[in-house]
Amino acid sequence: MSIRVLNPNAEVLNKSAALHMNINAAKGLQDVLKTNLGPKGTIKMLVGGAGDIKLTKDGNTLLKEMQIQNPTAIMIARTAVAQDDISGDGTTSTVLFIGELMKQSERYIDEGMHPRVLVDGLEIAKRATLQFIEKFKTPVVMGDEPDKEILKMVARTTLRTKLYEALADQLTDIVVNAVLCIRKPEEVIDLFMVEIMHMRHKFDVDTRLVEGLVLDHGSRHPDMKRRAENCYILTCNVSLEYEKSEVNAGFFYSSAEQREAMVAAERRSVDERVRKIIELKDKVCSGTENNFVVINQKGIDPPSLDLLARAGIIALRRAKRRNMERLVLACGGEAVNSVDDLTPDSLGWAGLVYEHVLGEEKYTFVENVKNPYSCTILIKGPNDHTIAQIKDAVRDGLRAVKNTIEDESVILGAGAFEVAARQYLINEVKKTVKGRAQLGVEAFADALLVIPKTLAENSGLDTQDVIISLTGEHDRGNIVGLNQHTGEPIDPQMEGIFDNYSVKRQIINSGPVIASQLLLVDEVIRAGRNMRKPT
Amino acid sequence: MVLSVMLFWNYVVGGRDIICYQCSSPYCSTDVDVVVVSNYMFVEGQVELRSGRLKKWLLLVHEVQVSMREIVTIQVGGFANFIGSHFWNFQDELLGLAEDPQSDAVFKNQGLNMDVLYRTGETQQGILTYTPRLLSIGFQGSLGSMSSRGTLYNEIQSVPSDVVTWIADLSTHVSEPRKKNLFLQSLYKEEQEKSHMMNGNNSGKHDFHSDIQDKDIVESLENEVQYWTDFSKVHYHPQSLYELNGLWTDVQQFNNYGIGRDAFSEGLRGEEINERLRFFIEECDHIQGIQFIVDDSGGFSGVAAEFLENIADEYTNIPVLLYDARGPGSYMNPSSQKQSAFQNLHDAVSFSRLSSYCKLIVPVGLPSLNERKATRFLCIENEKAYHTSAVYASALHSISLPFRMEPLGPTDESCYASGALDVNGAIQMLSGQARQNMVTILDVAMPAPSLTGKQLEQSLLGNLQPLTPDTAEDVEDLQAVESMTIHGAHGSGGHSAPVAEVKDAVQAAYGQVMRKPRFSHLSVATCPLPIPLPFPTIFGNLVGQHGELLGSPISSYPSRGSLDVHSIPMAARLRSSTAVLPFLENRLANLRKFGIQQGALGSEVVRSWGFGKDELEDIGETLSKMVTTLRPHSEVSSDSD
Repeated sequence: MSIRVLNPNAEVLNKSAALHMNINAAKGLQDVLKTNLGPKGTIKMLVGGAGDIKLTKDGNTLLKEMQIQNPTAIMIARTAVAQDDISGDGTTSTVLFIGELMKQSERYIDEGMHPRVLVDGLEIAKRATLQFIEKFKTPVVMGDEPDKEILKMVARTTLRTKLYEALADQLTDIVVNAVLCIRKPEEVIDLFMVEIMHMRHKFDVDTRLVEGLVLDHGSRHPDMKRRAENCYILTCNVSLEYEKSEVNAGFFYSSAEQREAMVAAERRSVDERVRKIIELKDKVCSGTENNFVVINQKGIDPPSLDLLARAGIIALRRAKRRNMERLVLACGGEAVNSVDDLTPDSLGWAGLVYEHVLGEEKYTFVENVKNPYSCTILIKGPNDHTIAQIKDAVRDGLRAVKNTIEDESVILGAGAFEVAARQYLINEVKKTVKGRAQLGVEAFADALLVIPKTLAENSGLDTQDVIISLTGEHDRGNIVGLNQHTGEPIDPQMEGIFDNYSVKRQIINSGPVIASQLLLVDEVIRAGRNMRKPT
Repeated sequence: MVLSVMLFWNYVVGGRDIICYQCSSPYCSTDVDVVVVSNYMFVEGQVELRSGRLKKWLLLVHEVQVSMREIVTIQVGGFANFIGSHFWNFQDELLGLAEDPQSDAVFKNQGLNMDVLYRTGETQQGILTYTPRLLSIGFQGSLGSMSSRGTLYNEIQSVPSDVVTWIADLSTHVSEPRKKNLFLQSLYKEEQEKSHMMNGNNSGKHDFHSDIQDKDIVESLENEVQYWTDFSKVHYHPQSLYELNGLWTDVQQFNNYGIGRDAFSEGLRGEEINERLRFFIEECDHIQGIQFIVDDSGGFSGVAAEFLENIADEYTNIPVLLYDARGPGSYMNPSSQKQSAFQNLHDAVSFSRLSSYCKLIVPVGLPSLNERKATRFLCIENEKAYHTSAVYASALHSISLPFRMEPLGPTDESCYASGALDVNGAIQMLSGQARQNMVTILDVAMPAPSLTGKQLEQSLLGNLQPLTPDTAEDVEDLQAVESMTIHGAHGSGGHSAPVAEVKDAVQAAYGQVMRKPRFSHLSVATCPLPIPLPFPTIFGNLVGQHGELLGSPISSYPSRGSLDVHSIPMAARLRSSTAVLPFLENRLANLRKFGIQQGALGSEVVRSWGFGKDELEDIGETLSKMVTTLRPHSEVSSDSD
């Protein structure tokens, strides 16, 4: 082989060995993630070499934590993580589906079928399934007032696979309300406008939705109020600290006097800026009980803080860049970049601003705002790994709600879709396909069943029984899913089990692509810098 | 101007009430104005005295240079963290010696303000902490046996038996705990002993009494150091240690600029890193600058460049002093011509990109440190990052001293330290003069020779040797600018020399040399470099207990470590000079040869790193500008070679 000539150290795996390497890697990855799936899956606690604890039931998190070295497994993992990036969920399902496609294909290839033909069949089945999903989906009309119940059902379905029921149900309301809060008609939902903040404090059930914003810092002056009601909020990006102007300008001075004049001018201009803010405060607050809060993206040095404190203003410095946007959405007004054009119109409003201190950590709550278009989910938990896990779940829940609103449709869950699609492929599509590509369609159809099978397995049910009773019901024309407690068929619509349309679609789309690529590999050549490194 | 009424700014209490010293009444003027005279800022106003008379007052606020100004340190990449680990060990040692009643007097009055580098905090349990103002970025797993949450802020985590967020099955996957080496074990024991003492439980004291010998610790460190945490004795803040997780590449493959560039922006990583930095910067009242160490030998230079771009964007006015470091390991002989081309290309791209987001860049790291003049009195094993990083860390420590000296008035002279400078001042001095050269050379004399020592060719300036690669020797540069720090120098009789003596000696030394720099700034401290226990055994046998250079070997062993040498005098210098030209020209030539030229070997590779043709030419432009700054009459044009 030519590679041998070029590089005598290269390792070459021939066709069947290469194929089996790929299949085994896919199956291996499937085995790792299998137990995660569904509301009866196993949660995994990873304890690192230095005692760091990570708690997860999320395929995405788990894949990122595993230090995968096998190149095939990396390819699959990348696809699965990309799935998460695009649609926010479905990582585990993607890995399971790819693994099962490889497993089903292996059967046929071992019987002498050429992978090329098989791949053609997979492709046909994929296209047919994508058409089927359009027919199968349940449309949801969003309009101006989205149906809150359906959103809750979708959110609950995804959250219950990550957190215990009571907590999942509590978070369901939180994430649905959060997304509805930031939703603006005719605009794409920007989930970054939901701030997720955490506190290591008390219990997980104290997690709540704050209509307003929670900032992870406080004022830096002892005389500033810790709690204020009826506050004007000035959101700004103005430097209120003394800086040596040379940093930027690099201009020269020829005498000491010139330099002094420059330095003095710089300090004066800082004070001038502070004074303008104070003037505005006096203008809007004088004679009333109202308060004034400055939240600045740039720095505020102690002399400026001091001037502000004397004027009774609460000031926070170095706010997150994204909070500038969020504050304006939550409180109204606008973010100002210069104090020259300060008007009362640029101010926002919050009914209550207060500080909460935990050790060295300070949190500032900006609450009771009018018409918020930004909000904060405040996660509380007894320790870091619990917080991290709830955070992951909340992110997935938010994505699920957003997807539903954007898809304007949902898919029946609990394995109902997979069984229905499988029946469709076997009973209708297969007949229309000529020759051995039929077997590819069959492999695809059987691979779909991995979802209900795994759900059954994780619930301790008999897989065979479950599949037979589910397909039987479907053949009679009843769309049913799996009841995880009893193993009986249920109507997912009645139980309120819905999955995201876009997530399912993405899984159907990307799974066969990767599986086909892996099946068509002829040779694996390992030659490179670390080829002599044992793997 | 006469200060008629003395007032003081109630700074410590934080109340900021201005109180009249004479009548103790709060000031009663509404008419306050700020004036600046020289480097000092005053607040001017008037006060009504008891007699009813108005008196003008002027308050010195010590604003412009005098108040404490914080530095945030950032370490990115493997070797950078090795350097950092030694650096913080020195700081920890200085803190410990200042408190220790048995330590030498020079350590008690260091004239240094540690608050510049450290922050005070408080755990949720209300225990006060004092930790480096540091953000360290490394691979997942590069922390060895240290938890990424640090050690201070966590209740001791035992693996919990129940999970509160899930009712169904739980499977636990426990990695084999990383073994702590002898040194870390002894630290742990010490901690426990301390906490027992605090609990008033003295009876158990004997059980804890260290049965680990220092000698064994030193030996085990010599042989076993694998991670930078293995020899770290510092407590870190939970926000300080950031691991890049989910990279799916091993260290060998994380070897070029392109891969690191992508790694920064993937997922929420970039955002998380920026958040960590914001945590430290938000609490600074007057940050003076960022001290940034990057291991630029591989993908981490891409991570750092992306990070620096964010910093430049978000904190426009905070100057960044960048140490562009690499270990000798990264100079391994590449196995093929192609690989060496890629390596050269990476070096050029990485250097150019990094330099465009900082104010001053200092390339650090020699291919064979052990054979250089700079390590004449040392005995270094080149392949050990633990050894080589110690030398660079010592130099960085010396360079950082002026940033935390207590500045004093022009007439006030401290007897412990002089020559305070802030980061911005240093950068302005070195790069902001008539010639705007931002690439400086780091020189070091470790240990610094005695001021009086004329024998053994122990001249101070002669012993200062570069740690920057590819520098020219003996160049005539009339425009050179230097900033030198000498600390702990020995004077006559081997005693530590007072500040004034050091100043005179240096002035005299400069008087004798032929090639004088145009300008030289000198900072002096009496406090030498303390050698902490986990410092590697790298001193030669001509180095005495206090770092004095001896005429004949003190012992038969070739190398001496922290048990034999307790402190050393140091001299280090940043130098802006044309001597750095070979370094720049190498990179420029390589970039053209392997990247820009028609049909160049690496043009494909550079494209895969995400650089288009135009961007590549911009990179070349940056480099050639640096060259022309230093050599205005050179015929650098893209066609010449």
